[in-house]
Amino acid sequence: MARQPVPLSIDPVPLDAGYVIVDPNSTSNSSSSSSPERFTNDEGPDCFMSNPDDSHSSIAELTDFRNMTVSPIEKMSSFRKPHHHHQQQQPLSPVNKLPPELLIAIFSKITSLVALKTCMLVSRQWADCSVELLWHRPHFGEFTKYEAMVAAIQDENAFYKYSQLIKRLNLTPISTKANDGSMKPLGLCTKLERLTLTNCVNLTDSPLMEILASNPRIQALDMSQLYNISDLSINVVAQNCPRLQGLNVAGCKRITDASMVPLSKNCKFLRRLKLNDCNLLTNSTVISLAENCPQLLEIDLHKCHNITDESVLHVFNQLRQLRELRLAYCDLLTDDAFLKLPNRPYELLRILDLTGCRLLTDQSVNKIVNIAPRLRNLILAKCENITDRAVTQSITKLGKNLHYLHLGHCQHLTDRAVQSLVRHCNRIRYIDLACCTLLTDQAVCHLAGLPKLRRIGLVKCHQITDYAIQTLVRRTNDAQCPLERVHLSYCTNLTVNGIHDLIKSCERLTHLSLTGVDVFYSRKDFTQFCRPPPEGMSLSPYLRRILSMLTEVEFNEHQREVFCVFSGSGVDKLRRHLNAQQAASSAAANTAGGNNLAYYNDDDDDTQEMEEDGEAGTDGVED
Amino acid sequence: MSEIKLLSSDQATITVEKSVAERSILIKNMLEDVGEVTEAIPIPNVNENVLKKVIEWCEHHKGDPPAQADDDSDSRKKSSDIDEWDQKFMQVDQEMLFEIILAANYLDIKPLLDVGCKTVANMIKGKSPEEIRKTFNIQNDFTPEEEEQIRRENEWAEDR
Repeated sequence: MARQPVPLSIDPVPLDAGYVIVDPNSTSNSSSSSSPERFTNDEGPDCFMSNPDDSHSSIAELTDFRNMTVSPIEKMSSFRKPHHHHQQQQPLSPVNKLPPELLIAIFSKITSLVALKTCMLVSRQWADCSVELLWHRPHFGEFTKYEAMVAAIQDENAFYKYSQLIKRLNLTPISTKANDGSMKPLGLCTKLERLTLTNCVNLTDSPLMEILASNPRIQALDMSQLYNISDLSINVVAQNCPRLQGLNVAGCKRITDASMVPLSKNCKFLRRLKLNDCNLLTNSTVISLAENCPQLLEIDLHKCHNITDESVLHVFNQLRQLRELRLAYCDLLTDDAFLKLPNRPYELLRILDLTGCRLLTDQSVNKIVNIAPRLRNLILAKCENITDRAVTQSITKLGKNLHYLHLGHCQHLTDRAVQSLVRHCNRIRYIDLACCTLLTDQAVCHLAGLPKLRRIGLVKCHQITDYAIQTLVRRTNDAQCPLERVHLSYCTNLTVNGIHDLIKSCERLTHLSLTGVDVFYSRKDFTQFCRPPPEGMSLSPYLRRILSMLTEVEFNEHQREVFCVFSGSGVDKLRRHLNAQQAASSAAANTAGGNNLAYYNDDDDDTQEMEEDGEAGTDGVED
Repeated sequence: MSEIKLLSSDQATITVEKSVAERSILIKNMLEDVGEVTEAIPIPNVNENVLKKVIEWCEHHKGDPPAQADDDSDSRKKSSDIDEWDQKFMQVDQEMLFEIILAANYLDIKPLLDVGCKTVANMIKGKSPEEIRKTFNIQNDFTPEEEEQIRRENEWAEDR
């Protein structure tokens, strides 16, 4: 991950700076009031709401402050402890002609923290010019490194006042070891702009309140899965962090309106908000957010079960520039939430998630498509009242704008809906039709007409046969089948032949799920390439949540037994294995003269030729 | 194609295509302010050698699309990607290298400044502190205790 460059000063620097004399006493210690804001765009991994399907959505739109008002050398000297007072003139070698601004510009091109650490040891001037880059966004893979950093910020005789240099901190990599005691020293930091504490589940209000109270510049705060924290912490945010733009409190189930309403009134610059599973929240919070935070772009209210139509009406009426609205499992919502809206277009709305809003009907879908014609992602999974009409008369109007469509568990859908969809929305990249049990091979054959389809979900579409799969992957002119992720669990009519054709034709395939397909899960020579079944206890809370969302039940013994998912290198190994089997069987057929069995079911024969390197699939649970 | 004259710090007059000179935001703004000029524009901080070198770069890059004001993509790119011509262009002695950086900064030619900074960054990477000091002829003005202290306080830093 690249470090962020320091914004360069565009203003010409006087060239007579042949000597740079570092005099720590020459400036007062007033940096806190005059030090420039330095906030650069970042779409890196600690940008907490990053969404792979949504390239425009990120903290990147945060304000970009670029006024370097104070000479960095003055600034750094003010962070340095005065007892290190040595005044030395550097010899005039070419590099010493550079003023500190340009030295910083050079160091900002260095991505490696280790290389920056080396720069700090070269000379005083180099240390002054690299320390801020090194400490801007500390990173630790191990807890011991975190402890070493904390020791440096706590040391009163440290060479620099490091606590004032940290702008971004992401403790997710050490989340399991982070606890109240180890976090408390972070209260010394006062310049934090982004704080990511995802999955630091042991944290409670006490150190967090202190950290939040001393960091009024926080713009992005991720406390997801900190289920111990309460309104106390959120109230500190409300009182102290007026610049907040992104807040993720997913899984902080104890949070109530008592803190979120004040927060919405005091954090008026909020743009992105995740309140997933905060199921004590009511309409009061959502309505207050809609009324007080006009810049909100993305809201996630996943499983906020108390939310009703009134919230949705307020959100749409107040927030005209909304990009993303997620209302999964807000199961009190009715058609009124949408039908009562005026007919104004929401040109910017790209993502709408209505998973499990079971009361919604075709009427809602029709209204949604009419007011949000540029929807890119539409998620209607488990909206069980949806019929073909919603697809043929409404969703198809989204045309080329539609890239992502989830209609899983919309059990009334028939082949006709799929046919019409493919004709009008040929840019679809992701489609899920799990449990649409009326679908037949016909539907899948139509889906072959989507040239950009990368991911397909047909779990429990049990009527599907090999013929559908073979048609889906067949391409003329040796063209590549673009499929990358294919979900066929519980499509029990499939045979090895169909899957072999799939896996041969789709070279980009990285994920294939065949759970419950007995011709696969019962074959040890196949399942050796599977990744291990998820074990409830070894999963992170986050993965477990996703898993339970997907399956709605705990993973039990039977499910473990029939589990059959190939991912990453497992797919390649399965491909080689099937190819080898086919070659062996056709050779056998030739010598035996007429035995037409395509595949042997023999555990001993073929396994040794497959080298097993034990590499398990890496890409999480089925998406 | 209109031309303008530049006067270097050592009083050399260099004639250059206006559009090439305007790669320098300093000169571009100056020309916009004063309109037509017949006499040479003084560039008091850049000598003839360096100015010629900078103009050579501007000529080669005159067709480049202008960087957008809010475009971070340029500075975002790290030192690994310097285009081949620029790499060759930067194969000069240190004296000239740092003069180019200073001139690019003074004349406000951001892409050239970036290339210069990336070139120096590449010279730093992979070296020990002592090797860096040797490369750039920098005097170690830390006491051994201070050096040890900085080493200890920054020991946590590791690469991602």
